[in-house]
Amino acid sequence: MFRSRRARIRSTVTAIAATGVLALTACAGGSGDEGSDGPVTLDFAFWGNDVRAEMYDEAIAAFNEEFPDIKVNVSFLGFPEFWEKRQIESTSGGLPDVMQFDYSYLRQYSENGLLLDLGPHLGEGIDTDPIDEKILDIGVVNDTTYGIATSTNAWTLYQNPKLLESIGAAPYEGGGSWEDYTDWVQATTDAAAAAGQPIYGGTDFTGRIQNFELQLRAQGSYLFNDDGEPGFDEDDLRAFWEQGAPFREGAGVPQQRLEEVYPLSGFDSAITASELTWDNFGAGYLGNLGEGYTELLLVEPPITEEGAKDLYLKPSMLHTISANTEHPEEAVELLNFLVNAPEVGAAFGTNRGLPASETQLEGVELGGLEAQIQEYEESISDRLGDPPAVPIVGYGSLEEKFRVIGTDLGLGVVTVDEAVEQFFTEMDVVLNQ
Amino acid sequence: MTATTAARPIGTRRQPTRKRVATIVWAVALTLLTLLVLYPLVWLVFSTFKPSSEFGSNPGLFPESPTLQNYVKVAEGIGGTPLWRFFGNSLLIASIAVVGTLISSSMAAYAFARIRFKGVGVFFAAMIGTLLLPFHVLIIPQYIVFQKLGLIDTYVPLLIGKFLAVEAFFVFLMVQFIRGLPRELDEAARIDGAGHIRTFVSIILPLIKPALITSAIFSFIWTWNDFLGPLLYITSPEKYPLPIALRLYNDATSTSDYGATVAVSMLALVPILLFFIVFQRFLVAGVATQGLKG
Repeated sequence: MFRSRRARIRSTVTAIAATGVLALTACAGGSGDEGSDGPVTLDFAFWGNDVRAEMYDEAIAAFNEEFPDIKVNVSFLGFPEFWEKRQIESTSGGLPDVMQFDYSYLRQYSENGLLLDLGPHLGEGIDTDPIDEKILDIGVVNDTTYGIATSTNAWTLYQNPKLLESIGAAPYEGGGSWEDYTDWVQATTDAAAAAGQPIYGGTDFTGRIQNFELQLRAQGSYLFNDDGEPGFDEDDLRAFWEQGAPFREGAGVPQQRLEEVYPLSGFDSAITASELTWDNFGAGYLGNLGEGYTELLLVEPPITEEGAKDLYLKPSMLHTISANTEHPEEAVELLNFLVNAPEVGAAFGTNRGLPASETQLEGVELGGLEAQIQEYEESISDRLGDPPAVPIVGYGSLEEKFRVIGTDLGLGVVTVDEAVEQFFTEMDVVLNQ
Repeated sequence: MTATTAARPIGTRRQPTRKRVATIVWAVALTLLTLLVLYPLVWLVFSTFKPSSEFGSNPGLFPESPTLQNYVKVAEGIGGTPLWRFFGNSLLIASIAVVGTLISSSMAAYAFARIRFKGVGVFFAAMIGTLLLPFHVLIIPQYIVFQKLGLIDTYVPLLIGKFLAVEAFFVFLMVQFIRGLPRELDEAARIDGAGHIRTFVSIILPLIKPALITSAIFSFIWTWNDFLGPLLYITSPEKYPLPIALRLYNDATSTSDYGATVAVSMLALVPILLFFIVFQRFLVAGVATQGLKG
């Protein structure tokens, strides 16, 4: 209104031109790093904390000594944020070249074509000799290898010897039946009460889906098969959750007490003397328990069926390469180094679990706990069966639902029947996605 | 208070006591309520002096064996990046965001409030409509655009919107403010030969200062606390702002350093607290003036 028509047209043209220039500059920025034969830059992402970040720095420095022409941009986040970011990136082909990867996402990402088929590189760029066949199989989805496991862990029963000593109780010997273990927990809780200490024998094991899986495997079944079909029905689940009744009636630590210390577990907080979990949790336990505790005990979990191969080795993490990488050869070099190099073993110790590759294991100086874990994994070798099918899409949320229902059972807000119904409803939703 | 005292000629003996009792009851109740609300903050302050291993065993307020170790640890930085770097990044992003928001939002607001261009009503409604659009709907398309433009791992995706007046809340706030200013001022300026730019800079801007300050404060606090944006667009740890950095001490899959987490959370709160204390006078004034006309 204030200005003439011509002036207005002029300003409109300027505005359009300016927008165009902006867009052009932006485009130029996008194609900047193409067509260079010299140094190659790879993006590498992992989840972890400051401690692990320093270990990776050391590992990448060792890699650069061998491959000075490959520059590695390292990026890291906490576990949930890491996956949030990957989920968004995967929509636009923006995934990092090499990734530390979690087993539970392997199926989803590989079935969506986001990961590089490592098959042609096995034995070529990736040295497979030092890795057990069974462990290599872990990274296979629908007959194609998409990931290499860095390390493995197995299900175990951790105990806190110092805590047991303080209440004058003997540790659980390992094995035995689930009832034996329940009785031992009750006895330990009683002993603690007699000693006047607010300590408990253990946590309700029916809160963890892995214990359910263990019992199913012992009976020749599984949680989910490759087609995503469950290997159990309502009655199986009901029977399992009913085993937890003695714990909820006072044998184990009250759920309310556990809520107070969450996100730490009862075992982390020195209020329970035993916990069933993955064997790579040991270092974390010691860290969270603090300086007063230096020793842990690990024994095999209770046996459901004598002679059954119910335990298995799970990858604590894998390494994968994104399908859209511009430098697959170099990415393979990096992956191979991270999986096999003894220098990497030296940098990490067992931070990522017990190294799966023998050459990498050679670089690891096994301390007290690490040696114990290695011994443990050797001791259970005749109970080790084939790994289960790669987790179905949505397994993570089912595992979490299982945990939440376990908490509700512990708090007494749902009955076992209601719990079973809730879980099956959730499972329907996840399986039919 | 004084007004009531003056207007109370009879029965002055009893009433003050009753009044005083009521006041005391109110004060006590409010103090208790404040303590209740502030407790998490106080807990945070005290917890920064707890050793990490105490977090499981002692959920109480006071540390059993107080230590400065958490601050020492935090000062060392994360994975080779010093802590001040994260502060610097946050400060840089937040400052540029404030500048961008003020410039672009005030210009957009001026246009909406004072210029009668074609489709002003539709555009205004569309702008208000964006307030109803959840951010999560936009994430993926936005990410793809910035990814194709090669702008990932730069601050451009975080800041460009601030210079394009995409924060409808601020635009709306300023539009309402400008609408409250008498048009005669503009007309007087126009008679003196001022164009839009002159009117905007010399007449409107000085008059909407309270709205500008309010926007600046909110914009600063929101950007400082923003987590999702930097999480998506920033890849290099040395470019992370504080909200991302403070999560790096926690790893659900191995050890979590709760001591360091609370210490760095505490430090991250300080600038916001300072910013608020310095500007709270303006903030209250800004909010209070929003309802006034003319």
